Amino acid sequence: MNAVINLELKKSIQDKGLLFWTLALPIVFTVLFISVFTSGLNEEESRPIILSIVSGYTIMFVFFIMISMTDSLLKDKNIGMVSRIASTPLSTYSYLLGKWIPYMYIIFIQIVILLLFGKFVYDVSLEQPIQLFMISVCLTFMVTGLGLALSVIVKTLNMGIAITQIVTLGGAVLSGLWMPVEMFPDFLQAISRLLPQYWAHQAFQEAMVGTLGGGQFLKILLILFGVGLAAFLVAILRYPNFLKQAKG
Amino acid sequence: MLFVDSVDKYYGNKHVLKKASLQISEGICYGVVGPNGAGKSTLIKIIASIIQDYKGNVQFTEEKLRIGYVPQEIALEETVTAQENLIFFGKLYGLRGDLLRNRVKEVLSEIGLTERGKDKVRTFSGGMKRRINIGCAIMHNPKLIIMDEPTVGIDPQSRRYIFQMIEQFKIEGRTIIYASHYMEEVEQLCDEAAFIDRGQIIESGPIDMLINRHAVPAIFVKGLNSLPDNMEGLGSVKNKDGGKLVTTNHPLQAMEIILQHCKKTNVELERLELVKPRLEDIFFSLTGNQLRD
Repeated sequence: MNAVINLELKKSIQDKGLLFWTLALPIVFTVLFISVFTSGLNEEESRPIILSIVSGYTIMFVFFIMISMTDSLLKDKNIGMVSRIASTPLSTYSYLLGKWIPYMYIIFIQIVILLLFGKFVYDVSLEQPIQLFMISVCLTFMVTGLGLALSVIVKTLNMGIAITQIVTLGGAVLSGLWMPVEMFPDFLQAISRLLPQYWAHQAFQEAMVGTLGGGQFLKILLILFGVGLAAFLVAILRYPNFLKQAKG
Repeated sequence: MLFVDSVDKYYGNKHVLKKASLQISEGICYGVVGPNGAGKSTLIKIIASIIQDYKGNVQFTEEKLRIGYVPQEIALEETVTAQENLIFFGKLYGLRGDLLRNRVKEVLSEIGLTERGKDKVRTFSGGMKRRINIGCAIMHNPKLIIMDEPTVGIDPQSRRYIFQMIEQFKIEGRTIIYASHYMEEVEQLCDEAAFIDRGQIIESGPIDMLINRHAVPAIFVKGLNSLPDNMEGLGSVKNKDGGKLVTTNHPLQAMEIILQHCKKTNVELERLELVKPRLEDIFFSLTGNQLRD
């Protein structure tokens, strides 16, 4: 499994597109939107907006990793790599884990860099670092779990991109990553609470200012972990079908 | 070494492999021959343990770890180097440390890519990719090498190099299963073969035996306007390459008649030769010429 992890990491490090999606673009968006939405506001009025944008855009941009994961697994499937690996002693589940774990590293590093960017550039406080760490771990698990499930379900990269856009952008709007959910009508607010992005956003903001209570913290960890676990189970269930479609 | 016994495989309602049975002895090159879509790759994938939901039995006398599979596709990571691809597959087969490093050097030398080991695979020609594709399958020194169409789309030099590698594998006592629709390759490389068509193994055995059992001898004559009258009934005649191809069970008698005729009529022949039956002719005689779309 380590061989798969190392190879995947090597490929990812060489991929300049991945660097653009994971770091450059979110930083540009964060800077741009903070400057637009805080223009003309004083320091006190700007604080909650900056807090919401830094955490919200971090959450939104981690979802784009689903495209890279889909691309990687579909390529392996279409060039015969999946079949070839199935002929080796490596178990199919070790292969699946080997493809998953590198993206966990990438996403966790992405979250850390984007939060530290917020801290050092916009002086965003990180009052509850342990809680932030745990939320970041569960968010990483959830997003990459969804990416893994998507990778074994879709048949083409275009389909993977389309679904990722819906999940990422649709989820961002509905869960209040772009604008406060308090501005939504009641039924939309109810929908927001069904989305893991909403809970991750709430948790990040509260842990940043130091108001995340123990019960709320555990509830949100369970939500994020539960969605990730469900996605992983879907990936495992769909994997035999994925293997059947593999060339080679 | 390998027994395939009554293997059946369905894709949905499609019966792609019908009671396939084979027995492959150690140290030989065994050809699996058939047109595209005949079921060769399915059979190969079952033997290589890639497909596991099938009916029937596949038994190895060797441990499965000693199998190397060369897929039809170039299943390599092209964004990394040839060496890194070999290391990757070596690790999957459990090689580590010095053993792995030494094996990478040996395999690069075997596939003729020592000088290009540190280059990325995407910079390689089709033939070089095919060779590294084989290299990845032999990293763990397998006793059984399963090759699925290993020469598709490559230049003659690379094809020859791959043939030499296969000859070397045979000298080393490895068993090779070679699936191809290029019958002349199978005839050249393999000791035994199985013909597969529409999911069924229609014939199998040593190549010489197949030829002796099914091939009808023929002679080729060029330079005669018409064949002698007393050749009638000796076999069937068809025009070929500006001459006549006489398919007959009595080729020497037919040649003698022609030579006597030429002597009598003072005709100088351009060519008169015994035509060696080819595997392809046997395949067509067993399956017919119609397309398999």
